[in-house]
Amino acid sequence: MTDTLPRPVEGGLDENRLREAYRVMRTIRMFEERVHDEFATGEIPGFVHLYAGEEASAAGVCAHLDQRDAIASTHRGHGHCIAKGVDVKAMMAEIYGRTTGSCHGKGGSMHIADLSKGMLGANGIVGGGPPLICGTALAAKLQQTGGVGVAFFGDGASNQGTTLEALNLAAVWNLPAIFVAENNGYAEATSSTWSVAADNIADRAAGFGMPGVIVDGFDFFAVYEAAGEAIARAREGGGPTLIEVKFTRYFGHFEGDQQSYRADEVANARANLDCLSRFRARVVETGQLRQSTLDQVDAEVTTLVDDAVTEAKAAPKPTRADLETDVYVSY
Amino acid sequence: MARTISYREAVNEALAQEMDRDPSVIVMGEDNAGGAGSPGEEDAWGGVLGVTKGLYHRFPGRVLDTPISESAFVGAAIGAATRGMRPVAELMFIDFMGVCFDQIFNQAAKFRYMFGGKAVTPVVIRTMYGAGLRAAAQHSQALYPLFTHIPGLKVVVPSSPYEAKGLLIQSIRDDDPVIFCEHKAMYDTTGEVPEDSYAIPFGEANVVRDGGDVTVVAIGRMVSVAAQAASELAASGIDVELIDPRTTSPLDTDTILESVENTGRLVVVDEATPRCNVATDISALAAKEAFGSLRAPIEMVTAPHTPVPFADSLEDLYIPDAQRIVNAVKSVAGWSR
Amino acid sequence: MTVGVVANPASGRDIRRLVARASVFPTAEKANMVQRLLTAFGTLGVERAMVSTDLGGISANVLRAVDRSRDNQWPKVEFCTDDPLTGTVADTANAVRRMVTAGARVIVCLGGDGTARVAAAACGDVPLLALSTGTNNTFPQLREATVAGLAAALVATGQVDATTRATALEVTARGRTELALVDVCASTSRHVGARALWDPAGLTELFCTFAEPDAIGLSSVAGLLAPSPRTTPDGVAVRLAPPERARMVVNAPIAPGLVRPVGVDEIRPLHPGERVVLRLRDGVIAVDGERELELAGHEATVTLRADGPRCVDVAAVLAEAARRELLSTRKESQR
Repeated sequence: MTDTLPRPVEGGLDENRLREAYRVMRTIRMFEERVHDEFATGEIPGFVHLYAGEEASAAGVCAHLDQRDAIASTHRGHGHCIAKGVDVKAMMAEIYGRTTGSCHGKGGSMHIADLSKGMLGANGIVGGGPPLICGTALAAKLQQTGGVGVAFFGDGASNQGTTLEALNLAAVWNLPAIFVAENNGYAEATSSTWSVAADNIADRAAGFGMPGVIVDGFDFFAVYEAAGEAIARAREGGGPTLIEVKFTRYFGHFEGDQQSYRADEVANARANLDCLSRFRARVVETGQLRQSTLDQVDAEVTTLVDDAVTEAKAAPKPTRADLETDVYVSY
Repeated sequence: MARTISYREAVNEALAQEMDRDPSVIVMGEDNAGGAGSPGEEDAWGGVLGVTKGLYHRFPGRVLDTPISESAFVGAAIGAATRGMRPVAELMFIDFMGVCFDQIFNQAAKFRYMFGGKAVTPVVIRTMYGAGLRAAAQHSQALYPLFTHIPGLKVVVPSSPYEAKGLLIQSIRDDDPVIFCEHKAMYDTTGEVPEDSYAIPFGEANVVRDGGDVTVVAIGRMVSVAAQAASELAASGIDVELIDPRTTSPLDTDTILESVENTGRLVVVDEATPRCNVATDISALAAKEAFGSLRAPIEMVTAPHTPVPFADSLEDLYIPDAQRIVNAVKSVAGWSR
Repeated sequence: MTVGVVANPASGRDIRRLVARASVFPTAEKANMVQRLLTAFGTLGVERAMVSTDLGGISANVLRAVDRSRDNQWPKVEFCTDDPLTGTVADTANAVRRMVTAGARVIVCLGGDGTARVAAAACGDVPLLALSTGTNNTFPQLREATVAGLAAALVATGQVDATTRATALEVTARGRTELALVDVCASTSRHVGARALWDPAGLTELFCTFAEPDAIGLSSVAGLLAPSPRTTPDGVAVRLAPPERARMVVNAPIAPGLVRPVGVDEIRPLHPGERVVLRLRDGVIAVDGERELELAGHEATVTLRADGPRCVDVAAVLAEAARRELLSTRKESQR
């Protein structure tokens, strides 16, 4: 009999990975807050939809992914892009519509993508992502890479036919696909408790032949664990899973949304439901990361976002010569 | 070595030869094999009209049956295409485009442009179009004009077994999303088709018949109907130049314009309904680019502005026939102010 | 004379759906159980039933049923609407407290171990009847609701007095006290995370109020080595170790669909009143199978209390009812 306690069960989160998880979440938070501020000046064209408040979902899931894996996102896609490793400066430039952007200024906030990083794009069509992920998962299965596909979608998309068809197809074909329903309580201005007829989005999973799990979206560790299990299961051929992440968004549906439908919730959310402060408090308490390390990350991210905005504003816009290029590979 | 085979066999052969050559080619669709989960025969159908028969056993694991969920599996074909596969998905009837159109026109068609030239989406969507089998309003339309309208898609409408095989092979090798439209009433028609593999380039029209009096441009099955009309017209001393564009997107505008500049008279035959179909597109092209050469107004021979009727007496009136083409050609040939 | 019914909509949707092939217990079935309880109460003359409200659809379903059938002979149904709903375990605790204050004679709770322990902490001396609807159902009973309803009504109306006092484990850390009805387990896992505990790696100490060999959950580790029935006051204390180093290894059904080797170094009885200081200082403490308390250098203690909740013993109640013919009448025989 031994008196020593077994080593802590970290679930694969050593100091480096914890710091990087924090970096991802802090980058998303600062990026979105900055876009919010800059959008108000009127310089950013079109529409933006901000992910602030939801960082733990993108970070907790994408921490398990590598170059074999692909993700599809929503119109609220900046968080997923950052978590999957899309270049932050290129993202900012894209939002500003500059040629240095991820899509050379031709996509904008709702279509930021980087296929080389397995990021199939933010998507302007609600429910556009899940069928595409059935495809990437199918490719991974046929190519035998052990890769998975992750479809992020919202409570609004959980009612869209394409999503429901994709759930069924993924189960029928036993695809390595993870469906992450990010339930932030609102689809545009309509509450999800009203629009989703089931008691929980996860409850639908049983009807589609896969397990459905609910996790607290303000807790990075809860998302990380559930996603880890689902992804490991998929890699081993165990098929698809539906994970419902429950949390809230701090900003409106789009920038400019006054959020009158939310009464006083937002202030309470920012004060008491913050995945970043929870993560920080926890890892400092357990001694897994030092305050100084976290502060260092904060400083680096601040610089990164500042530089991204400065460079984006200075970058050229596409010209007439760019208008008709890249419609086809060849025509 | 060419021999006589059917349009159906030509499509099947194109698929088989490409699947043989390139392991990334996969086929998926409703009952593309048939019999999934059933106790009886596997590959029971090979497609509702037997076009994909035999591929299931010949290429194990590469012919996938799907549930009836077009959004999901057409979307899946598109997603897989972004990851190194070359899927050929079957949209059983072009009339069903309504339930999966978003994945085609908002996703596949726009990836390359929206993502700044960084996406390659080599997906082929094979689909059946056309009237003549009394399949009625929701199973008989010619909707290729809707796809032609969308930047980012290529649209192919083969008019014979020879065209079908060569154009499908080209479609599969092409790196852009292709909508491949097979006329369901042509599957049993036969023609000379080489045994070996060959690819017909896109955007290169076929001049089916040389002639100096009137240019007739026809799409898909209308090419054979127009050919019939041309023979009749020859007997009346009118020499028709018959052009098959093969692909409506890209469109071989040069061949069409060169012919119109020569003949000065144009008739366009398009089975699609008249508002905003390919005939209007080609007519506008000619009116703008060959205005000085035109010696008569442009005539279009199309279906009427109605859904496809069921009763055979009505469907036969709906589909443009050789007589209407003859009348149109005679009209432009004899036109004077 | 009042009986309370608390139903938890949230039970049964956690990560054990994924890692342990646990079942999904539909909300509609929970609502049906409540209705069956009300039917049983009505037949035995319970006058008032207080029913918890929830955002998960159970109380909405029951309200519709109350509105629709006027002649179902149910007691007067009152929904607990005084406390705002939070969608957390606080709702269960609040509802139970209201029912106790309003004079409920018995409280029936529908849920898993997690629901039962929260209800037990709030019900004071009022007898509790815990019906199973969650995943790890060691404490709540898997019983048909109509029959359970009859038992509850017989106790509430004072016709039968067959309750037993369960023991409970009180765990205290960082100024927080939690009550466990089945087990308390210490793990070196750092975070509460997805809450459920399904991985035996990192478990250091296990305490059980009772340990039955045919139970599901962590208590089966003790139950398969040294069973300790519900009816005895002693519990069990187990010192765990990684299987490759432990003195004994138990292949235990620690969750539905999961049978895992768990290493045991020492197993001994735990006496009521005995206060144990946990060896673990960094990690989490799981209460009734769910990670609950996070430690970072803190001290935690566990005490087995003899004064846990009073529980309605359904089988014993109905056996007595049969013996005393409480649910039957005889007519005089005619010659």
